[in-house]
Amino acid sequence: MVILEARGIRKHFGGVVALSDGNLRCRQGRITGLLGANGSGKSTMSKIIAGVYRPDGGEIWYKGRPVHYRNPSEAKRDGIALVFQNLSLVPDLTVWQNVVLGMEKSRGIFLDNQEAKQIARDILSKLLPGLDITRKVYELSPGEMQIVEIAKAIAERPQLLILDEPTAALEHAQVKSLFAYMRALAQSGVAIVFTSHRLWEVMEICDDVTIFRNGATVAYIDFDQEEKDPETIISHITGETVRSSPAERTFGEKPESREVLLRAHIRSKVKSLRDVSLELARGEILGIGGLAGQGQNELLYALAGSFPGVQCEVEIEGRKIVLRRPQDAIQNGILLVPGDRQKEGLFLEHSVYSNMVFPKFGLSRHPVIIPEKKYRGECEDIVRLLSIKVSSLDAPVSTLSGGNQQKVVVGKWLSFDVKVFLLADPAKGVDIGAKRDLYEYIRRLARERGIGVILYASDHEELAQYADRVLVMYEGGIVAALTGEDISEETITATSVRAR
Amino acid sequence: MDAARKGIVVLPFEVLKRALLQPEASSLLMFFVLFGITAILQENFFEAKSIVRTINSFAPLILLAMGQAIVIISGGIDLSSGAALSLLTCVLTTVMKKDDPITGVYALILAFLVALGTGVVNGLGIGYLRIPPVIVTFATSYAWLGIALFLRPTPGGESVPWFRVFYNMRAVEGVPEVLKSLGNYVPPALLLIVGACVLWYIVSRTRTGRYIYAVGSNIESAYVSGINTGKTQMLACVLNAVLIFLAALFFVGQNQTGDARMGGPLTLRSIAAVVVGGIALSGGRGSVYLAIVGALILGFVGRIIFFANVPNAYQTLVSGIIVIAAIAGPAYATLRRELR
Amino acid sequence: METFLKKTFPWYGWLLGSWFPVQYRKAFTILFLTVLLYAGGGVVVPGFLTLEQILLTLKLAAFIALFGLCQMIVIVAGGGGLDLSVGYTATLTAVLTASIMDGRNAYLGIALLVALVLGLLVGFANGVLTSYLKLPPLVVTLAMADILQGIVNAYVAGKAITGRPSPVLVTLAAKLTGVFPNILFVLIPVAVLAILVFERTKWGQVLFGVGANERTAYLCGIDVKKVRFLTFVASGVLASLIGLLLLGNMGIAFKDMGSNYVMPSIAAVVVGGVPLAGGGGSYFGVILGSIFLQALTNLLTALGLGDAGKWLGFGIILFAMLSVYAGNRRSR
Repeated sequence: MVILEARGIRKHFGGVVALSDGNLRCRQGRITGLLGANGSGKSTMSKIIAGVYRPDGGEIWYKGRPVHYRNPSEAKRDGIALVFQNLSLVPDLTVWQNVVLGMEKSRGIFLDNQEAKQIARDILSKLLPGLDITRKVYELSPGEMQIVEIAKAIAERPQLLILDEPTAALEHAQVKSLFAYMRALAQSGVAIVFTSHRLWEVMEICDDVTIFRNGATVAYIDFDQEEKDPETIISHITGETVRSSPAERTFGEKPESREVLLRAHIRSKVKSLRDVSLELARGEILGIGGLAGQGQNELLYALAGSFPGVQCEVEIEGRKIVLRRPQDAIQNGILLVPGDRQKEGLFLEHSVYSNMVFPKFGLSRHPVIIPEKKYRGECEDIVRLLSIKVSSLDAPVSTLSGGNQQKVVVGKWLSFDVKVFLLADPAKGVDIGAKRDLYEYIRRLARERGIGVILYASDHEELAQYADRVLVMYEGGIVAALTGEDISEETITATSVRAR
Repeated sequence: MDAARKGIVVLPFEVLKRALLQPEASSLLMFFVLFGITAILQENFFEAKSIVRTINSFAPLILLAMGQAIVIISGGIDLSSGAALSLLTCVLTTVMKKDDPITGVYALILAFLVALGTGVVNGLGIGYLRIPPVIVTFATSYAWLGIALFLRPTPGGESVPWFRVFYNMRAVEGVPEVLKSLGNYVPPALLLIVGACVLWYIVSRTRTGRYIYAVGSNIESAYVSGINTGKTQMLACVLNAVLIFLAALFFVGQNQTGDARMGGPLTLRSIAAVVVGGIALSGGRGSVYLAIVGALILGFVGRIIFFANVPNAYQTLVSGIIVIAAIAGPAYATLRRELR
Repeated sequence: METFLKKTFPWYGWLLGSWFPVQYRKAFTILFLTVLLYAGGGVVVPGFLTLEQILLTLKLAAFIALFGLCQMIVIVAGGGGLDLSVGYTATLTAVLTASIMDGRNAYLGIALLVALVLGLLVGFANGVLTSYLKLPPLVVTLAMADILQGIVNAYVAGKAITGRPSPVLVTLAAKLTGVFPNILFVLIPVAVLAILVFERTKWGQVLFGVGANERTAYLCGIDVKKVRFLTFVASGVLASLIGLLLLGNMGIAFKDMGSNYVMPSIAAVVVGGVPLAGGGGSYFGVILGSIFLQALTNLLTALGLGDAGKWLGFGIILFAMLSVYAGNRRSR
């Protein structure tokens, strides 16, 4: 019996369209898988159903009635529970206290701890047998925390449970336990929505699959009636995109010299990034692809000397150096344009001018008094060069559009002696015009000035268009390298999804 | 030795080892050591009279430390507790008239309301307006000081005779003999402290008690779980205010005066006591009862200094150094661990 | 604050129209409030609105403003920075150097040296504990204040504080040239220098950046810990030097000299429009804030409300301003 039906859901954030036509059907007692590449809209869909976002259009029918949730609490009250990754656990309380947090029962004025412990035990003994529910949450491993988070949602006795990438932090054995529990839960009548980037997991546990691409639902496969064919699924995920056909790849002028500019070796003790080695040639644009959150940002931080848990040794233009702090990278011309421009790349209340000149002050040989006239001139040149649309250099950067903000983040490095440009998803949330300006400029930098570029783009279409070579990352490591003719949006996405 | 008996021998060691590794263990250890040293230095330490005097001198700090612990655990901090205490003493001694016993009752009621008021104002700033606790209680501490100075520009004021029951039951005429002889061994200060402990015991077993820890541990998680974080932090501030109120009763019972500046030094000492008692300044963890241990440790250090013939002037100096040592110690240890 | 004024005086919105440069709006608002205060005070209290009174206000406000500079340096760099030990550093310096100088100019140089060393020590300790050990600045500087006061108490215990400031200091801090207080001859160059450093040197810009967004500054290669450490050192040294001026103003040293300046220094910074989280603000605003607060104090004293009114007033104003700023943050 269908418990939830969503039709024609639309959602946009600013100028970016996240969903143009989202459709979903969930049945009681069934596990529905949501699949799709980065930016396909599947995550947005989950959040809309759970009441985290409000849709701009479309209808949602829950238990036969149309619903419009304004916040997650309303959805919760109707029996819809959403599990993120560790967003609602309190570290200093015990496992059982967390499971009942917010819905404790009391006997008189005192809390009924016995019942709470029983509830926790009932759920966790099946989800994660052997877990001591009296341990404090901060003592748990990330996988155990994720399980407790799930247990907490289940304790609310939802009728529709949405699990958003729950297996990302789990060990293999824990995944098995989770699946067994999900099966049992489904059998008791609960509807479950399950997203994962691991294709084989979805095929193993889900009863049906809804596939998203470019903001729309493109396929619905019911495993009861159709074959479970990974190739079919992958082809739906990558699709036959009309836009990025191989002919569109603008090769530009291939650089003559393939002289190696940078050799990097990363030794990591953290889980989010594995030991990685790579090479970068002069004038080359090296693309980093893969599903979101597979370590791409971490790789770039490491290369910029900004990742304390990781040791990065580079050989640049023949010189060997160890990057321990951001200064080490900057002084050698390795410059980072970070992933979150508002939180990591800009001083939002400060002016465009202040933002652009700031990195200069980190250089040791900078004069005490700022040569204002000279710098203003430089900034005006950069504004013109990158076509930054701003009324004056003194306007606060917060008044600029996303694209222009991103140009400022790039622009602040342009007066430096750039050797390697590290770009972490520079075009995310940027309008098409600014996107094109940025990428064209970067390509010119690479081709004309022999600068090496390492570009992470979550949109594989962009990668396909601009990268000379693509490394696909999965769970912190590099799993594939694509060159030349192999580079296309489909192949990059397919490789990302297929990875194990 | 067969396996079962081996188990019996090994088990206590394991329990002991695990217990010693807790941060609270070092506080308790320090307490016992200092207790011992003081007992040795002070000849009549174990006499009844002397024990009573010890409890009496530590009482205000103990009560303030407990209240401070509650606020800190909820994720805040109260820089105005000393000033609030001073204010309450001024309120009490201004309302009471020596010759009119009923004014004592009025004073009690009014002071209680004023105490609640201070808690509500602080709670409003911390919990609802979300102003950093440090700075909002810094501001309110001056507001309390100002009001206190209005009431009592110089220390003074009056107290009704029966008010001394909060300090020494024998001093009051109408008290039945039973209570008086009880008062020989169990001073009212101790009853106040026990009362505070009972109050916290009850609260800690309710939803509010659990939420105080949750909000202090991770306020976003608490909020997302449906907890009213503003109300929780406000309640923590109000509880603190009640404990400060008890301390004020004791002080006025003991000294029959109100003094707008007497509480100042106690604020930092109460924070020090909380830290020394093993409660994290970041909130979310620790036992309020250990704040008592922390206060006692500070008290004993003061005693030892006194007996070592170091002048009283050094008290503030020492408490400052202790605070720094108490918070720097664990931070340094964490830093060493991170760098490895 | 502006919106409140705009509602009560509709023409205020017109006055502060789009033609009025943005960075001066907050400063102008404070100036306006001060004028209002004097106007109101002049009506209620005879003799309040005289040139003499205003200059006296400026003289006393100068000291608040100087301590406010210490606070501003620490606060602007963000990270919850706050220095509650400034007044106490000043007191200790005054007490120690009084006997060194003993009323003569000869040992002024040594006194300066002692002040410098003391300021460096205090600032170093504060800086290491807050920046490298990551202890909360509030608690550290509060404890430091206690330690400093304890040292003063111990030094003072049993003997009277001897010594007088050198005449140079007295002239600078206490005396007037005609009707003009000499301390302003100290404040004005300091203010000009401070504003120049904040706006036009790399040090100032780095401070603003670190306070505005620690992560962005870090990724641009700035050593955030070192910067914050240095702000405490600067604050300590400055506070110590102000102690010399306090000594010059009072003529003798006593153990509570500086402690009353801590709260006003913070209030002046907040009223002056410097965000407590750091990253922005202007020293000019802090100076105006100091003047406003001192004027308020004088008014309260003139109305017979004395110390009590002063502290209550400070508390209420600080609380009110903090609420307004918190409200602004939430409505965004």
